[in-house]
Amino acid sequence: MAGAPAADPSKVLRITFQAAETGFDPVRVSDYYSGTVISGIFDPLLTYDYLARPAKVVPNTAAGLPEITDQGRIYRIRVKPGIHFADDPVFKGAKRELTAADYAYSLRRFLEPKNASPYAFLFEGIAGIETPDRYTIVIRLKNPDFNFSHVLAFPLGGAVAREAIERYGDESAARPVGTGPFRLKRYVRSSKIVLEANPGFREVLRDGRRLPLIGGVEISVMEETQSRWLAFQRGDTDMEYQLSEVATAFMTADGQLKEEFAKRGIRLERSVDPEIIYLYFNMQDKTVGGLAREKIALRRAVAMAFKAEDMIRIIRKGQSIRAHYPVPPGVAGHDPEYRSSIPYDPRGANALLDKFGYRKGADGYRRLPNGDPLALRFSSTPTERDRQYDELMKRSLDAIGIRLEIHKDRFPELIKLENQCRLMMRIAAWIADYPDGDNFMQLLYGPNSQQSNNACYRSPEYDKRYEKSRLLPHGPERDQLYREMARIMETDTAWLLIDSRYRNVLL
Amino acid sequence: MKYVVRRLWQFVPTLAGVVLLVFFLFNWVGGDPAYILAGKIANPELIENIRRSLGVDQPYWVQLWIFVRQVATGDFGVSWATNERVSQIFATRLGPSLTVLLPLLITSTLLAMAAAMLVAYWRGSLTDRAIMIGCTVGQSISILVYILVFQYVLAYQLGWFPVQGWGGTLGENLLRYGALPVLVGVVVALAPDIRLYRSFFLDEINQDYVRTARAKGLAEGRVMWLHVLRNAAIPIATNVMIQIPGLLAGAFLIERFFSIPGIGREVILAVERSDFPVIKAVTIYVAIATMIINLAADLLYKALDPRVELE
Repeated sequence: MAGAPAADPSKVLRITFQAAETGFDPVRVSDYYSGTVISGIFDPLLTYDYLARPAKVVPNTAAGLPEITDQGRIYRIRVKPGIHFADDPVFKGAKRELTAADYAYSLRRFLEPKNASPYAFLFEGIAGIETPDRYTIVIRLKNPDFNFSHVLAFPLGGAVAREAIERYGDESAARPVGTGPFRLKRYVRSSKIVLEANPGFREVLRDGRRLPLIGGVEISVMEETQSRWLAFQRGDTDMEYQLSEVATAFMTADGQLKEEFAKRGIRLERSVDPEIIYLYFNMQDKTVGGLAREKIALRRAVAMAFKAEDMIRIIRKGQSIRAHYPVPPGVAGHDPEYRSSIPYDPRGANALLDKFGYRKGADGYRRLPNGDPLALRFSSTPTERDRQYDELMKRSLDAIGIRLEIHKDRFPELIKLENQCRLMMRIAAWIADYPDGDNFMQLLYGPNSQQSNNACYRSPEYDKRYEKSRLLPHGPERDQLYREMARIMETDTAWLLIDSRYRNVLL
Repeated sequence: MKYVVRRLWQFVPTLAGVVLLVFFLFNWVGGDPAYILAGKIANPELIENIRRSLGVDQPYWVQLWIFVRQVATGDFGVSWATNERVSQIFATRLGPSLTVLLPLLITSTLLAMAAAMLVAYWRGSLTDRAIMIGCTVGQSISILVYILVFQYVLAYQLGWFPVQGWGGTLGENLLRYGALPVLVGVVVALAPDIRLYRSFFLDEINQDYVRTARAKGLAEGRVMWLHVLRNAAIPIATNVMIQIPGLLAGAFLIERFFSIPGIGREVILAVERSDFPVIKAVTIYVAIATMIINLAADLLYKALDPRVELE
């Protein structure tokens, strides 16, 4: 197969970003757009077979999957010899081979305080990294973790060359040098990113054809939906997947591409994003928090009065599906059969509140069982989408006679308060960092309070199972633990799972 | 010269006021940047680490002193979001902004002056009234509507212009990608400018020197183009010049819709990301530009009308 043709330079894929990237130094970014470019330029040790469902970890620059020993504490990986970084002046004209030391350096960078990496949390389990020979890397973990391979497949975990990072310093964000299929050809920050096929890219074949198939990718940053939509229709771009606001213009109610677009040769590919959107209650809040029966009843009643179907039908305009399980479709550990035990039932919610002493006052609003006034505080950002969330929440709480207060603040401030367990309720979203259920189930793990556990939920029963699940690879035993954990969370009603959005890709 | 030196000295307290205002506004209503930069999982240790590296863990007076030093040296450091040098951000974004703004200002000013002079000359006529009603209607429509309609009709439907984009050469940007943004800007600017300039012309047309010129038998064209225009040009020049700094930072809608990598778009990005170094720099630059342009406008008064005394 060595004779497979190289990338066709005449084929350039033109796509758009709806928000500006921040740069291409893997340790310094956390935004999706920068990550997309980085994944084309740098190579992690492992990657995914993206066509498998759920996505499956496979070797990338590694010669094989990791050899896992010491009960999941030691990962030994061999890097394929003969892989080279893309040519760059920093290498002074010499070919620079990728070695295990490059991965050791790249992974350690995530943990260096001076880099303040947003993804340091993924690598915090590393106790030490050794490179016994030029091509072997041994990663020693603090605790057993059979799912660490997902971290090694994380696209931002690609190898950088130490000399490039040291030479370019702060400019590394604009001078990425990797071993991946593409290299940066032209870069106008926040506006245009042009990638070209890396001529020195190693031989990687798919269906007998050498990757990359195309000669380049041209990315234009277009913040406005109208600009993206018109540019796509005019043929200025080849692919568009950020058009949810105008989805009704090209899609029928049942999710099919309208005929007029199909006739023009446009195709629609639809998939559900690996994400969950959920309403959480702060379990440390004195009004809605805690595991006392009347507090659980209050949360349960709010969850039963929240019409998730309206969220999907009105706010999302049909562009999402109902979420029942904390692990979304396409992610290892998802259970398509699982159904939430929290129904939409405002009448039942009212009965529940009556039963636990939340009586209505003269003003028609309920009071706490001790007679004190009851008002729930829902936090959201001052955006159009969140204003719709406010309205839906108001309607839900009106149905059960609970007074609602809306708390408006900017996103970073909400996150700050959330991390201090000071918000009462908010609708939050989580998209997979890697397609494994652990990335979702950790959101309810007690020690992750003030970090990713925004409900500040602490359940010994949940935590015990979660700790056990971390010692297991994806499989029936871990799936069973996940189901039990989901039911525990529902029983305590720390969250109400709402939906996962569709990604509509026009080609 | 004495006047210029005195005005330059006045820059200092004005700048000090701007520095204090920006600093306190950002710290009062601005979001905590550490929570944006920390990404999805922000543990307290990471937050503290970021705050330390940005210097926002320092006492307010230390942060304020750093800001003052930055203003004095003109070095605002690096963007908190991208690590790009702030000076580099402005150096690379200024060109695209000016590529659109200069043709826009020149075209809209010339067209508005010509139209305003005509309607002032025909004051009270049907043409005057029709144009004034048109201007009132035009002025009351949001710039967003102009952008959406022009982009849809002229670029998408008729294909006269690219829908959006930015090229690699000045010629390409000026003639191809900049044409529609300039057209939108000109149309938006025309309505208020014609109304304003008309009033400047009317003020002059009713002056004694115009009556005298006519009484001497000067041709109408010479009266209007030489005498009236020259005197009306003073307030028009002031108006044009004071618009420039605001337009640089304020043209963000045009820049966003037409994907122009200019300063206005960068300012919005900086606000969205709580990128204080960029916000600080743009505010100070706009303040300094406004002061310098005001001074230049005053000097221009003197050049246009030697009778004006600068005190």
